[in-house]
Amino acid sequence: MVKVEINGTQHALPGPLPDTSVDTLRERLGLTGTKLVCGAGVCGACTVLLDGQPVVSCLLPTDALDGHTVTTVEGIDPEHPVARAFVAHGALQCGFCTPGFVVEAAAFHDDWRARHGTARPEREEIAAALAGHLCRCGAYVEIFDAVAAACAGEHDNAHAAAPPRVEAAEKVTGRARYTLDVRLPGQLEGVVLRSAHAHARVGDIDTAAAERTPGVRAVVRLLDARDPEVRYVGEPLVAIAAVDRHAAEAGAAAVVVRYEPLPASVSASAALRPDPAPVYTGKRRTPNAAEGVLVPTPWKAPNLRGPVGQFSESAKTARRLLAAAREAGDPLLVEGTFHTAAQVHTAFEPHVAVADWTADGLTVHASTQAVAHVAHELARRYRLRPEAVRVLAEHVGGGFGAKLALSHEIVAAVELSRAAGAPVRVALDRLEELSVAGHRPAAELTVGLLAAADGSLAALSMTAVADSGVAVGSTVASLARLIYPAPAKDLADYDVVTNTPPGTPFRGPGGPLTCFALEQAVDEAALRLDTDPIALRRRWDPDPLRQRLYTWAAELPAWRERGAHTRTGRYRRGVGVAAANWFYWHQTDCEVELAVLPGGRLRVASAVQDMGTGSRTVLARTVAGAFDVPPDAVEVRIGDSALPRGPISGGSRTTATLVPATLRAARRLKAAIAEATRLPGARPDDAGVRHAGGVLAWPDALRAAQETTVTARRPDDDAALGRSARRPFDGAGALGAGMSVFLRATSRLRTGRGYTGSVYLAEVEVDTRLGHVRVPAMYCGIAVGRLAAPELAAAQAHGAVIQGIGYALYEQRELDPHTGRVLTAGLEDYRIPGIADTPRITLHFDEDGFEHVPGGGVGLGEIATMPVAAAIANAVHHATGQRPYRLPIRPDAIVEAVARGDIR
Amino acid sequence: MSEFRAGGTDLSERRRSGISRGPVRDVGARPELRRITATADGGWEIGAATPMAVLAADEAIRSGYPGLALSAGALATPQIRRIGTIGGNLLQHNRCWYYRNPHTPCLKSGGDTCPARAGNHRFHVAFDLGPCVAPHPSTLGAALLAYAAEVVTDRRVLPVAEVFGDGSDGSRDHRLADGELLTAVRLPPAVAGERAAYHRAISRTYAEWPLVEAVARLVVLDGTVAAAGVAVGGVAPIPLRLPAVEAALLGNPPTGALFEAAARRAADGARPLPMTGYKVPLLVGTVLEVLERAGRA
Ligand SMILES: Cc1cc2nc3c(=O)[nH]c(=O)nc-3n(C[C@H](O)[C@H](O)[C@H](O)COP(=O)(O)OP(=O)(O)OC[C@H]3O[C@@H](n4cnc5c(N)ncnc54)[C@H](O)[C@@H]3O)c2cc1C
Ligand code: SF4
Ligand code: FES
Ligand code: FES
Repeated sequence: MVKVEINGTQHALPGPLPDTSVDTLRERLGLTGTKLVCGAGVCGACTVLLDGQPVVSCLLPTDALDGHTVTTVEGIDPEHPVARAFVAHGALQCGFCTPGFVVEAAAFHDDWRARHGTARPEREEIAAALAGHLCRCGAYVEIFDAVAAACAGEHDNAHAAAPPRVEAAEKVTGRARYTLDVRLPGQLEGVVLRSAHAHARVGDIDTAAAERTPGVRAVVRLLDARDPEVRYVGEPLVAIAAVDRHAAEAGAAAVVVRYEPLPASVSASAALRPDPAPVYTGKRRTPNAAEGVLVPTPWKAPNLRGPVGQFSESAKTARRLLAAAREAGDPLLVEGTFHTAAQVHTAFEPHVAVADWTADGLTVHASTQAVAHVAHELARRYRLRPEAVRVLAEHVGGGFGAKLALSHEIVAAVELSRAAGAPVRVALDRLEELSVAGHRPAAELTVGLLAAADGSLAALSMTAVADSGVAVGSTVASLARLIYPAPAKDLADYDVVTNTPPGTPFRGPGGPLTCFALEQAVDEAALRLDTDPIALRRRWDPDPLRQRLYTWAAELPAWRERGAHTRTGRYRRGVGVAAANWFYWHQTDCEVELAVLPGGRLRVASAVQDMGTGSRTVLARTVAGAFDVPPDAVEVRIGDSALPRGPISGGSRTTATLVPATLRAARRLKAAIAEATRLPGARPDDAGVRHAGGVLAWPDALRAAQETTVTARRPDDDAALGRSARRPFDGAGALGAGMSVFLRATSRLRTGRGYTGSVYLAEVEVDTRLGHVRVPAMYCGIAVGRLAAPELAAAQAHGAVIQGIGYALYEQRELDPHTGRVLTAGLEDYRIPGIADTPRITLHFDEDGFEHVPGGGVGLGEIATMPVAAAIANAVHHATGQRPYRLPIRPDAIVEAVARGDIR
Repeated sequence: MSEFRAGGTDLSERRRSGISRGPVRDVGARPELRRITATADGGWEIGAATPMAVLAADEAIRSGYPGLALSAGALATPQIRRIGTIGGNLLQHNRCWYYRNPHTPCLKSGGDTCPARAGNHRFHVAFDLGPCVAPHPSTLGAALLAYAAEVVTDRRVLPVAEVFGDGSDGSRDHRLADGELLTAVRLPPAVAGERAAYHRAISRTYAEWPLVEAVARLVVLDGTVAAAGVAVGGVAPIPLRLPAVEAALLGNPPTGALFEAAARRAADGARPLPMTGYKVPLLVGTVLEVLERAGRA
């Protein structure tokens, strides 16, 4: 029996109780505001106050609560200055880390105010206090602002202004319900038994003992019977549902799997050996690591798929020019081989699904970026009527590309529910999430770039070999074509398959890799040509949007004064630049429903989901703006596949799909309302319903309106206005046109006119003694047209920069070289950026160039992360004279370079 | 075999992942283990279950044993320091990514090989002292070595160095017997005029297990180094005191050149693994860092 006061209420909890407080709070008491992310004391998401002191409840034994008081996020006053400040500053994205931050920041605030009154704490003081918290979305800039403002007394009174994010209050108070928090009556817990071998034929799987294990209710097989081979450690074999996790794990331990081990290739080098162990012995059914659709491609060797070289142009000429330059020792030939590391998405809410299969149909709560798509796939897979399948995702704790598919935890939950006749939750733990739930493939990139004596770009080659695990489809080298249209290009993409977990799309798939190699090569070319690196890009890159960004960047004091940095002494400072290019996509089959309800409230609905990117807010803002009402007058319904089909949250397509459709729905609703007034001469305009007697303003017209519902699809872009924008896949000729048609037909993905662009400057400081690389400042020029919700766009961009810093400096998935098992299976070993690693970020949005798009703007989640690592690498080179050929640029790399004498 | 539990910040993680099982005996709530008291000889005794945050904030410790207070205030995260205890810190299990993974048994979990040695040991030791190549995790272990502290158990009093041994036993992270309760840490009398520094080399700014960490304490009298204590972590299967560095310092004027020469001795005896060569220059740099800072403090 544990006696404890929780949020002011006395509890006497009879045993047996879960080991740790977080499980007791969440599973026993239903206080799901407290989040479990790492389970290892690293991330702080589970932070609660124990006798007023913030502690991590994932490591706090339940019995240690006896006789103490606990405050969870639910016990923090929603009107606490910190809670208000988090809402007012939009100091969150997906919100999964938010309760932990709020609890700790509230304690910090109270202590600060007691000691310092309303003095404003410095960033460093806040960072030290919040050092035990991580946010994968990278909301740190806004968190700094919120905590500082609360301490300074700016939130002692409630604010009337609409917050930047409409659901912020729910997330800040812990009320927001994520899939991980769903608890249905009679719900069972499912776990997945996984392959212990990198490569094996699986014979008999004996589940009899598992089925007899106390508490176990169902056992289902996940391994495809038609292809009974496992190809990586951790591949799902069997799922077990039981009354609780303990019993399910006991059941899993009782399953007997007969493996017939096969030779494995667990690294790219092993897979590419002359006579390698083939990853696929039979037909290759490889999953897709990219967002697009796989183009049929031959296999060059047993484990090597490619080349995909369609994006080359005059490839032979390029090869000839480069070879001749090499032969002649041409100093204007830049060549190099770059290596990037595998980056793991690490969404804070894991992959999780709660499935309930009943006679009436199938309901699945899932942490997904694609409710509509997953529902569609489920109906197909289980031959159910589309109306009988419903997928729900009220709040999604991050995705970043890893949650776009019907993945195995959803399948496991569904099949277990069907077998057990009860709702079943399957949630990956952090080890599983970091091991098998997706990653950005690592790659080796070989670049050749030849400048002509007149300073023009003569030839470009890039060969990318991506280690995608048991997946294919990475596009890296091909992207190089879209930014520098050299007359001769030799671009080849390969996938090497290995007996390791499959890669998946990750925020701008391929893009950061291309940038890392290509932008360093361009930087090197500028050095060789003795030209300013921005000036060289202006010469070589014709994109009109980036041309303006280059002008902006070149004028920044940080750039103009970069020559002042010295290359001596312990700390070296440098400034680097990098550019990126990405697509403007939208999805063609989506619909938005808009209704005016009795009393004048508006309701907008679409089967999209909000994984922290702000789709809910974008919808509310767009409707509110059209009708001149506050955003909270608009009810938003999303995260439900029963709503009109919405876009997936991926490929930067969500905003570009939703906003135009919503604006069109608003026009339709306005017309319907105007007509229904029956006023003489009534017609809608921006201000309201104009009629013979004057104008009935929209807020008044809404109040007077009868309930009316309209739907709209996204209209096409304005062809006349769009004529001046770049054609999709321009510079790729007929192939480009073909590519557009292909994407549209296969993924309902339409590639619009105009490219999004970014040009970033990074300032770095390199400690040559201890190898530490710090990024004090980043300057980020981004061209994505008009911003649908400026604060959210800023938050997205900040987060993208912070993730990019992780990619540049810290993140690296590590494997055991013999078994291919992922070793960075906890958050202490897989290092993502912390709040103190946040630079001063200056954002510059160039809002022109997408006038042809209704609403004037497109998506930015991907373009904003692409050039970060490249800009940092160029800055490190500027600071040290040493080019980083490998990611991440960790202290070990720097001190080794110093020890070798490469950095002097 | 039952396992003691103080704050539970190490044990709970191992139990969640399943690498540690069996009954638990809680000692964290015992008031006699939560105290910081002066001893008759002018030193101090710290109860084993004293939270690290309490240690870091304690006035007597901050003024008399600044290297210990700085170490206790810099390790882990604020939340962990509030519940993790000094005893648990010394006796915690190592953080090797094979050992902590329930699917990869090793010497430390009853197996008979070390998969890290032949595998991926990027963050492992640079002093290969025995069969296990995981760096010892205890930051306070290094600090207490630098202070030549003793440890009191329910059975004996022993120098802190003996808690860790020499790294030749690859099967355990400390040498207390099963069921032996650590009750206190005993510090010799403080030395007047001591200056100290602690630093860890990491990739991020905070909250990361050190690649290398170092603590230094210096006493300068009449322009020469009269006493020195230097110890490091992250590089060996035990926290390591560096007598060669200390010897190089003693009796000499505390100049930059001296610190550089002394720091170079930190590499004496280093035997890095194939992937940990970088730790040797990093160790020299980190030791130099703490010497310079202690010299300035
Ligand atoms: C994110 C994170 C970062 C960390 N970073 C660092 C770091 O940088 N440096 C560092 O040193 N540590 C670090 N730690 C580890 C942390 O310091 C330890 O977990 C903590 O000190 C353990 O104390 P505890 O009281 O919670 O021990 P417990 O978890 O209760 O116990 C740990 C072990 O010690 C034994 N034990 C505890 N007390 C006694 C006793 N009195 N007698 C006998 N046996 C006992 C237990 O049986 C158990 O085996 C980190 C931990 C986390 C989670
Ligand atoms: S280094 Fe030590 S803890 Fe790690 S696998 Fe080897 S024996 Fe185990
Ligand atoms: S879940 Fe407790 S610290 Fe991450
Ligand atoms: S908002 Fe912090 S993890 Fe998503």
